[in-house]
Amino acid sequence: MCEYSRRLIAWLDRELPDQEAPNVEWHVGQCADCRKAVSEYEEVSRAFLACYEASGVVKTNSMVPLWTLSGVTAAAAMVAVILLAQPPVEKLSFHPLSPAPAPMMTVRARAHVHHRANPVSAHRQWVADEPVVEVALPADALFPPGAVPPGFNYIADVHFQQ
Amino acid sequence: MSGDSLPLALPLARFHSDDREATTLFRELRKPLLRYLVCLGLSSDEAQDAVQDAFLSLHRHLSAGGSEENIRSWLFRVARNQARNRQKSYDRRFGACLDDAGAESALDEATPERVLLEKEKFERLQNAVLTLACAERDCLLLRASGLRYREIGEVLGIATSTVADIVERAVKKLAEKCNV
Repeated sequence: MCEYSRRLIAWLDRELPDQEAPNVEWHVGQCADCRKAVSEYEEVSRAFLACYEASGVVKTNSMVPLWTLSGVTAAAAMVAVILLAQPPVEKLSFHPLSPAPAPMMTVRARAHVHHRANPVSAHRQWVADEPVVEVALPADALFPPGAVPPGFNYIADVHFQQ
Repeated sequence: MSGDSLPLALPLARFHSDDREATTLFRELRKPLLRYLVCLGLSSDEAQDAVQDAFLSLHRHLSAGGSEENIRSWLFRVARNQARNRQKSYDRRFGACLDDAGAESALDEATPERVLLEKEKFERLQNAVLTLACAERDCLLLRASGLRYREIGEVLGIATSTVADIVERAVKKLAEKCNV
């Protein structure tokens, strides 16, 4: 067995030290066995890479970095879960635009009213300029301690339809 | 395979405060991480969840003043742990995801004879991969993700020289069994 045979794959991967790589390269140019071996390693590596890349065909279009998410969907889902799972009177406290310090997590509700009776105005919405109701939910009530990094804000737009 | 690292000259200092930096890093490493996780046996949805969780962990890590060095291997290590936690049948790795997609996509315009030959070769590779030890498959997957030996060692918690030995052994096994 050639003394260079144990360094061929590291050489292919450019993982050999700078002072060693030229020696291996020179040897591969001289040794037919090593050239053949390098060719085989390259081919099997390419085949493996092709399989690997093909296996990574996954749905990526819908992926959005979570920390950049506005939180509309997530917060709406959380509010829905809370409202369904627990008595809202006990858990929710309403602060009509109180000047109290901002909580760690804030959910703002805006009213969007659809007028179905009038076809002309069927698509018109009334949107309040300011949040009508502000629901303050402490993050600890929603997630286990430490699950939400500090500084995360969730904002929910709640639509009311008639 | 060149073994070159993916370009990752990303300013991470403002990762936790600047959405653009975070998004750049996310876009840079999302696909390699997804691919790796799918090959570890996670479904597409599980892999996407795991990638999100890994980046959330990175966010917390950096927010807490953690090191910004070797972020790529850090993310792969976290993702790998995520996969182990999520995937009960962790050992049914890679073989399951080596379906015919790879062969089909590469052979769209090939002759029927060539398609047949390539499919046979593909099946041999698939069977050969299944005979590899876990560490060998791990190293080859991370190598295919573009990680350097040093980074692979950091992900798996082994020495760089050990990675070199394992990669060499694995590639030789595949070459021998595939009879290329």
